[in-house]
Amino acid sequence: MTVLLQSLISGILIGGVYALIGIGLTIIFGVMRVINFAHGDILMVGMYMTYILFTSLGIDPFVSIVITIPLMFLFGAFLQKLFINRMQGALPQNQILLTIGLGLIMSNTMMLIFTSDYKILSTSYSSESFNVAGISISSPLAISFLITAAITLLLYWFLLKTDTGQAIRATAQDREAAQLMGINVRWMSILAFGIGSALAGTAGALISPTYYIFPQIGGIFTLKAFVITVLGGMGSIVGATLGGVIIGVAESVSAVYISSGWKDVVVFVLFLLVLLFKPAGLMGKSRM
Amino acid sequence: MMKRGFVFVLAFCLALPGISLAANVKIGFINSITGPEAPIGENLTNGVTLAIEDLKKKGIDVQLLKEDDTGKPQISMSAMEKLAGQGVSGVVGPYTSACANAVAKLAEKYKVPLLVPAAAKEEITRQHLKYVYRLNAPADQYASSLIDAALAMGKPKTVAFIYENTDFGTSTTKTAKEYVAKKGIKVVADESYSKGSPDYRSTLTKIKAQKPDLVFMVSYVADAILLMRQSREIGLQPQAFLGGGAGFTTVQFAKEKEISNNVFSTTQWTDDVNWPGAKDFFNRYKSKFGKEPTYHAACAYQAMLIMAETASKNGGDREKTRAGLKSGSWKGIMGDTKFEDYDGFTNQNKHQMLILQIQNGQFETVFPIKFASKKPVFPFPKWK
Amino acid sequence: MKPTFALIRTSAGTSPVAIALGVAILAGLFLFPNFVQSPYALHIMILFFLSTIQGEAWNIIGGYTGQYSVGHAAYFGAGAYTTMILMQYKQIPPWYGMLAGIGVALVVSLIIGSICFRLRGPYFVLASIAVAEIMRLSAMNLKDITNGAEGILITEIPVFKIGETIVTDFLSKVPFYYIGLVIALITILVTWMVQNSKLGYYFQAIREDQDAAHSLGISLPIYKNIALALSAIFTSLSGSFYAVYIGFIDPPTVLALDISVQIVLICIIGGIGTIWGPVIGAMVLVPLSEALRSNLIAQMIFKTGLTSEESGIGTFLKENLAHAHALIYGILVVVVILFMPDGILGWVKKLTAKKGRG
Repeated sequence: MTVLLQSLISGILIGGVYALIGIGLTIIFGVMRVINFAHGDILMVGMYMTYILFTSLGIDPFVSIVITIPLMFLFGAFLQKLFINRMQGALPQNQILLTIGLGLIMSNTMMLIFTSDYKILSTSYSSESFNVAGISISSPLAISFLITAAITLLLYWFLLKTDTGQAIRATAQDREAAQLMGINVRWMSILAFGIGSALAGTAGALISPTYYIFPQIGGIFTLKAFVITVLGGMGSIVGATLGGVIIGVAESVSAVYISSGWKDVVVFVLFLLVLLFKPAGLMGKSRM
Repeated sequence: MMKRGFVFVLAFCLALPGISLAANVKIGFINSITGPEAPIGENLTNGVTLAIEDLKKKGIDVQLLKEDDTGKPQISMSAMEKLAGQGVSGVVGPYTSACANAVAKLAEKYKVPLLVPAAAKEEITRQHLKYVYRLNAPADQYASSLIDAALAMGKPKTVAFIYENTDFGTSTTKTAKEYVAKKGIKVVADESYSKGSPDYRSTLTKIKAQKPDLVFMVSYVADAILLMRQSREIGLQPQAFLGGGAGFTTVQFAKEKEISNNVFSTTQWTDDVNWPGAKDFFNRYKSKFGKEPTYHAACAYQAMLIMAETASKNGGDREKTRAGLKSGSWKGIMGDTKFEDYDGFTNQNKHQMLILQIQNGQFETVFPIKFASKKPVFPFPKWK
Repeated sequence: MKPTFALIRTSAGTSPVAIALGVAILAGLFLFPNFVQSPYALHIMILFFLSTIQGEAWNIIGGYTGQYSVGHAAYFGAGAYTTMILMQYKQIPPWYGMLAGIGVALVVSLIIGSICFRLRGPYFVLASIAVAEIMRLSAMNLKDITNGAEGILITEIPVFKIGETIVTDFLSKVPFYYIGLVIALITILVTWMVQNSKLGYYFQAIREDQDAAHSLGISLPIYKNIALALSAIFTSLSGSFYAVYIGFIDPPTVLALDISVQIVLICIIGGIGTIWGPVIGAMVLVPLSEALRSNLIAQMIFKTGLTSEESGIGTFLKENLAHAHALIYGILVVVVILFMPDGILGWVKKLTAKKGRG
């Protein structure tokens, strides 16, 4: 029983971070219909940013998101304006390859700067944990889960209650109609890519204290992000949140009851099943 | 700076005309300079750089042809082909087992002496290849030396394995499983993971439920730290944590005192062992590259020295160099080196593995006794 | 009729100059090993054939039928693993193993097809990746069959005999050169036949507009599956060929996502949906990655005397250009996609068309 509970808790905590990655991807897809294969690499850039801030300025990773979020937003907006924007309406395979190319550039630039050494960010609390009813909970993971939840709520509020947020949702639902309504669609795309990147970067910052950093780490998270967003329904933020937690738990529970070697297979099979039997995902389509 | 060095070498050569005859040799070096294995590859490159400097001091001017295999066997093969065509006297490398294995066959085909510095897969020197030599101890030694040490300290009955699903991880674990079976230790968990999983907690919880006496881990550095952090988090408490090489022997791991203290590991080389020049190599390496050398660096350094010296002595002739490697013996920072045929191995150096334990953030050699610097701490103290 | 057709027609059909040129190139390719003995040069040519086969095979499903599979490593790996497992554990020679590999790849393609072709656009892309990843992870975990992460290494290829005469013992690169060349030519020929047949017409109709094709009575599942099967056959062949040639396979080298991406890149960079696109893609990518990897570019800069090897810039280039090769690769991809969306072939055609008009 403890084993099950333990794996559920770890799964949910990790799932929170996954959700943040998935939400970023889903916003970008929703607004621009571009599958961003560089999503994991953007997350990796966020991790290095956190690493620099921590090692050279001594800023705690959880505090540093105040800096990481705006910087990553600008980075994403810049990528969108300079590259992705030119591909609006181009063949989907070319869009995919463009983002793959951008991902390659990001990871290899980082490798030139930082070498491909694994960087470990050791904070005083990196291996702290506390006990609840015999179940140990990692303190940094718990903190990052709370921050994730706060950011997600803030994002809901932004998308539902503000004018800009509603404009983004309108663009996601029907680009042409939104344009006819006088929404500046180009600006919304830049915003969406910026927000998506900021979220990926934040996720990177939040897992830094309990994880490690190397230039090629992006690929792992790109694949996870796809699974999460499809599971939740491409373009659905609630779906991505749910998808993140489901994937986190699925990984964690299957590692215990099947084997850690097969846990990723479980995730991909789950993914295919959803594609086949509920292709719109758990939360339907394009409803943000 | 370069000029001064050159003048120095020139003067040296003039002073010793006998050596200057044997001066210029062309040696190939295949390594993972980019790609996923690059972090470790860098250590080998640095080791070789130091070796070239030292060879220069000895009057051997090495023309080094560096090739990047990006960690992929097919690329390492094209590198080997290229080097064979460029008339090298011998090749040092490649780093990874997969690449070394692929290149070994080519070395035989083109009759180019190949000295593998640090790849652990046993098969590499088990194919009766005449031109393939290996300096480091193969993977079976990692496991058996660790298990032997554990048996020398206590009476473990059960063991849990957790390892990276790479060639290195699985083959080391495979030989470990065979070895513990012989020793009557029961395997209670056998878990592989893929690199980059952020969460090992559930796997470790599962292992904890089995209450193993020994936990045997094979991982690279980042995962080593993660695994130990999360072991502490969930309170996994065996009699000993055994780290099968790689990540557990890095300084980066040792620095994480809270979680790394009292973990045993095995390595090909350390700086505190009393092999000639080991400490000096450590200091020079650290001042030149700003970080401490791993065993890969030491292996690559010594491999390059052996290859270049042998080639230079034999005027760069491949066949004579091969024979020279076979008949020669060396004493250096890797201890005594001799390439022998035994237990199905061909041209394999019987390298002595060292058992280390981290004590107060430092690696201390605890086995074999004749090299030991400290007494082992056993069983593993309760987590704080 | 698309302009691509016209160009192929002229180069393969009417113009005598083009025929003469084609014959000369073909003869040159067949005679190449007689003049060039360097194993390195042969190796590069073999890699070029391999990439051509891969690119051309992907072209059938991705280029002509418009289904952008980013999971072709699945078929590549299926061919490689089947051949190697049969050779290593059952002593079945690779020329039979290759056929078995095709069989396995066909089964895999049918399974993938029946799952993935219900999906369109980005969903299809993601599903194809997922299936290939499942294959990779399975190969990693099914240690009893695949030897897991340790991979399969063969040290000896059985001698190929017809009757009692030994045709080849595979000890040099020359037999591999010819096998690669012949498979590449067959792949190109089959693609050409497909393009000029009713089948090719259906494929392209599906690419241009699935719904319109469907309403014309073209069965989408049947023709998509045929295209995928054809593509899988040749990708599997390339996998078998690769495995036997290299003599070692493991999940990361034959089933990883970057293999799939690499295959797509060959086609996209050369020119998608054209006969010669993948050939050009392979012709560009193979030497380029080789030159970048082996630091040829830095050496060329030194030779031209722009900067010397000892100077500050020289050392910097020498140290970093080799590291930067994946970076340059990434930049190349971005530049091609942004400025030559139809690949190099499409770009050249556009240039010549402009010249013709002006």
